[in-house]
Amino acid sequence: MHHSPIHFKHDLFFTCSCIAALAFSATTSAQNLNINKWLPDSVQVHGFLSQGFINTSDNNFFGHSEGSLSTDFRELGVNGSWSALPDLQLALQVVWRDAGQTDEDGFRIDYGLANYNLLSTESSLLAIRAGRVPTPLGFYNETRDVAATRPSIFLPQSIYFDRNRNLALSADGGYLYGEHRTEFGDFSFNFGLITPRTDDPEFMNTILRGEAGTLEGNTSWVARLSYEAPDKGVRLAVTYAEFLSDFHSSRSLSNEGSFHFSPLILSAQYNAEKWSLTAEYALRRTRLDYFHSSDIGFTGQSYYIQGTYRFTDKLEGLVRYDELIWDLDDQYGYRYPARLGPSFSRYARDWTFGLRYEILPSLLASAEYHHINGTGWLPHLENPQQEAQRWDMFAFMLSYNF
Amino acid sequence: MKRQVPLSKITRSRVALAILLCLWLERGYPESIPNKVNPDSVYIIINSANPQRQISQTGLNAIFNMRLRHWNDGSPITVYVLQDEDPLHKTFCKQKLRVFPHQIRRGWNRLVFSGTGQAPLVVETKEEMLKQVMETPGAVGYLSGKDLTSAVQILEIQ
Repeated sequence: MHHSPIHFKHDLFFTCSCIAALAFSATTSAQNLNINKWLPDSVQVHGFLSQGFINTSDNNFFGHSEGSLSTDFRELGVNGSWSALPDLQLALQVVWRDAGQTDEDGFRIDYGLANYNLLSTESSLLAIRAGRVPTPLGFYNETRDVAATRPSIFLPQSIYFDRNRNLALSADGGYLYGEHRTEFGDFSFNFGLITPRTDDPEFMNTILRGEAGTLEGNTSWVARLSYEAPDKGVRLAVTYAEFLSDFHSSRSLSNEGSFHFSPLILSAQYNAEKWSLTAEYALRRTRLDYFHSSDIGFTGQSYYIQGTYRFTDKLEGLVRYDELIWDLDDQYGYRYPARLGPSFSRYARDWTFGLRYEILPSLLASAEYHHINGTGWLPHLENPQQEAQRWDMFAFMLSYNF
Repeated sequence: MKRQVPLSKITRSRVALAILLCLWLERGYPESIPNKVNPDSVYIIINSANPQRQISQTGLNAIFNMRLRHWNDGSPITVYVLQDEDPLHKTFCKQKLRVFPHQIRRGWNRLVFSGTGQAPLVVETKEEMLKQVMETPGAVGYLSGKDLTSAVQILEIQ
């Protein structure tokens, strides 16, 4: 089904779009698309377009990638913002994304929000944000769609799961944001009450164990505290969130209840002129409360360490080790029931080596190689048959943003 | 001893020349620009109608990080920058904001693509920078000392 004429048409369309974007960005001035020159200063339009190519030795990731080249990973987004008053801004981003079977060719509103600064001085900021707001989780979540804001083609999957990206990316609700800038650095907090999005096929499939039914977000919250000293190159953050959703299978009465997910994420980054070092650690508590049977609960752990080096202004290299453990009480999955999956689906250890080259300030080419032990973050929807424990992945991506 | 006389004469004439040069330079620069303008340094420039003359270092960073959106009197701020690869932009980021250009670019991308802020307006040349700051009320930008004119005001960092 991955090589049906429809997909081929899409591929052709996208390859053409990428070439058009390349030609376009080469002829217009970098970073500042001419469109913004025709708009009032208070209105801005930005966007991005990316096309990925993926090949895996075993297992499918974002399309039919096993022993083949999948082009089933593309993202296209346009956002507009209007600064109605100096301290009031409205913004909307519409995204079309395809990522194998985990995300199928759909338009969606990734965010649509109003930001109002209650207080804004040289040293402090207090703001409220409401609508569909990007969720502040760790360092990369809020802008994870845009290839240029990611250090690699795929974010470290142990924390930024791509298979349920919509759930993590943004949610409907309201936030209180505060920032205090001192000579020692900037301190900020972000607290929000939200209703999570539940439009990821993989997430729904996991929770409902493959049965048809409904999954609805319930009142949840998220909080992040950050410290940033750009002149010293230091960034630190602590995030804690409680995500709740209710599920209801239309097939079996017993498969009904609520899903609780509460991650604690610690983040640290050091930036020098040529290199930067980033590490994030997450402790993830998951609980499934069934109405008619006993609860299931487990605590998992994720972390990664990542180094990047800027060889030149345009060329950057990356090395990363990323580890995911689903259940700390059963790290190697030995006690995991075989009917639910192999023991190695309970963890993933991923070594990544990447390069990214800025062809133009707005056009980026990235390539990376992953060596992975375990299938902890592999989309199960795309791998209904046997999964392989050790696998390699090559990915190449062309991305444009303005 | 004989040698000292001509030496002091030379020194005296040099001092006179320096004073003349200073006077000439002072005439060369308009009144509104302080006499100590260094042609090779980077200066923060604002629209001349802006009553504000000073800002703190944290305030300046907040403006160019696109976090502070209004002046002390409440009027909106319009930020102009040169392109990322422009040498003057790089010098400005390092010397005045004390950050690397790629750090500030990441910050703008975070604001733009999370819907919580806007990017500064990019101009392609120093001439355009001067023109935009001259013509836009509430505008702020930067130029090197040698390109300054009396049509814009310098914003001093406290």
